[in-house]
Amino acid sequence: MKNKLTPKNIILGLFVCFLPLLMYGIDAISLFLSGYDIYLGLPSGDYMLRIIVRAYLYMLLAIGLNIVCGFTGQLDLGYVGFYLIGGYTAGLLMARLGMTYWIALPLAIVNGALWGLLRGAPTLRLTGDYFAIVTFGFAELLFRIVKNEQWLIGGPNGLVRDIPPPAIFGMVFNQNWHNYYHILILLTLVIFITYRLQHSRVGRAWVAIREDEQAAESMGIDVSRYKALAFTVSAAIGALGGAFVAQFQVNISAPFFEFWESIFILCMVVLGGMGSIRGAMIGAAILGSLGEILRPGFIIPYQFGNARYLIFGIILILLMRFRPGGLTLKKA
Amino acid sequence: MLSIASIPEEENMAQFLEQIINGLVLGGIYALIAVGYTMVYGIIQLINFAHGEIFMFGAYIALMLITVFGIPFWIALPLSMVLCAILGVLMDLVAYRPLRNAPRLSALITAIGMSLALQNLARMIWSARPRQFPAEILPTVFHGQNAISLPGGAALPYRDVFIILLALILMIALNRLIHLTKIGKAMRACAQNQVAANLMGIKTNRVIAITFAIGSALGAIAGIMVGLSESVTPTMGYYKGVAAFAAAVLGGIGNVTGAMLGGLIIGVAEVFGAGYISSGYRLAIAYILMIAVIVIRPSGLLGKSTGDRA
Repeated sequence: MKNKLTPKNIILGLFVCFLPLLMYGIDAISLFLSGYDIYLGLPSGDYMLRIIVRAYLYMLLAIGLNIVCGFTGQLDLGYVGFYLIGGYTAGLLMARLGMTYWIALPLAIVNGALWGLLRGAPTLRLTGDYFAIVTFGFAELLFRIVKNEQWLIGGPNGLVRDIPPPAIFGMVFNQNWHNYYHILILLTLVIFITYRLQHSRVGRAWVAIREDEQAAESMGIDVSRYKALAFTVSAAIGALGGAFVAQFQVNISAPFFEFWESIFILCMVVLGGMGSIRGAMIGAAILGSLGEILRPGFIIPYQFGNARYLIFGIILILLMRFRPGGLTLKKA
Repeated sequence: MLSIASIPEEENMAQFLEQIINGLVLGGIYALIAVGYTMVYGIIQLINFAHGEIFMFGAYIALMLITVFGIPFWIALPLSMVLCAILGVLMDLVAYRPLRNAPRLSALITAIGMSLALQNLARMIWSARPRQFPAEILPTVFHGQNAISLPGGAALPYRDVFIILLALILMIALNRLIHLTKIGKAMRACAQNQVAANLMGIKTNRVIAITFAIGSALGAIAGIMVGLSESVTPTMGYYKGVAAFAAAVLGGIGNVTGAMLGGLIIGVAEVFGAGYISSGYRLAIAYILMIAVIVIRPSGLLGKSTGDRA
């Protein structure tokens, strides 16, 4: 995939850059028409923007998870753990120590990367099911810790309240369109880094490990080192997403980081096709928005609760049965 | 383990005894679920994440049979076992069998999807509200006040005796089934080498289906036991399932005796951890044990070391 400035790409780029303007424009038109008693019944621009910001956030997380799941071929069931670490590191530093976002963000990323390395150390030897189980246990333990350790977190059930928005020279970034450009910049950065990694010596080593670990080792690839690198980069991206979500949500609590969130992100990677950045983004865009539409009370009545998870489960089963390579890839 | 019993006061002694009983009850339940995980893993090398959900369905089916259809407990119990066995076999047929030759990651993701779908299906049908077996319908022996009093003021409810004994009997029966019968022999053959077993004229798909059926039926009983001693919720399959899986890993996955031992250890450890350390970390104890075993001794307490698998 060569990046070219084709007209299609330029239009797409402009669309992404001016999306908030479009949303607020639609808002203005709705407002104007409502003066003439014409109601379009569209959701407000702010609401739409929040959904889009979430979808971008999931794209970022899916790309991060894809590094471990797609490139090195290990099933990581505890990705939400790094998301949690990033969220709580940034959230606590900002809300309780009054640190500015611009220091808390890199610290959160570093902390996430450290934990990625730490979790990687004992799991380097593990493959397949055992790796999946350890990652799962790791995320569950972190979840229990933030849920129970009130002295550390400050609130019940892992609640951190009033996380301040980022600011530069008194300019406070707390509007939805601020968040839109904020996540857009982070996402672009992550795509750039991951893309460069994928098409470098490192990326080729990762894929070699995925295809056949022993063969890779015998070709002189330092399997442990490259695996550890994959875990670290992936964890750092997860923590980055967490740090963003902390200031985006203002209040975070433990249920945000439950195990099923890991599975949700995994669904995105699998849906798009494991091992492809574009696939991860497409999967995140589909499931991220689908998740919003299927939220209880929107289309599905409240009494059915989280029916969307039922649908995600069925999607996983059907994909594995009929298109194990995901939507974007040819049959593996 | 009994060295902790240096606590002088009588009350503490009673509490200690009751904790042991609770641990054994929970351990018996875990052992019954763990057997389902370990048998399936032993034959097709798949962590059947949805096994926990079968166990949850077992509890709900029995609950529905008793409360909605008014079927007596002693008939609802085997009926729920049969229905769960059918559910387990269907699950294998629909989801896992088409993926027999696919990469193991695909089958694992399918299992997770199955678990997710079934858990939320249960939530849609029965809502997230915890339910209990209504006391007036249950046989009177299971009422909480019917208990043997132990020295030191501890009480041993007949319900707990029933659970522990039933778990023990089923374990022994399963052990005998695997080691003495023809189908048990076929199972062991499939676990050792499926292709060779097939060549010897064993219908492997049928053996796998029977394995799923047995595991699911035992899971259903465990679900009913949880319903008797705690409550029935759509997430119980997930929480108890993971702890039971930890038990299977602890005992050495693929090893049925190990699963029983692991179940008892995890059950007792969990109850003691909750009682003497912190109740918020109830499940965390199972996870910590599981991770420690995987990292330090992946073959588990009784498992043969295979080297390749870990």
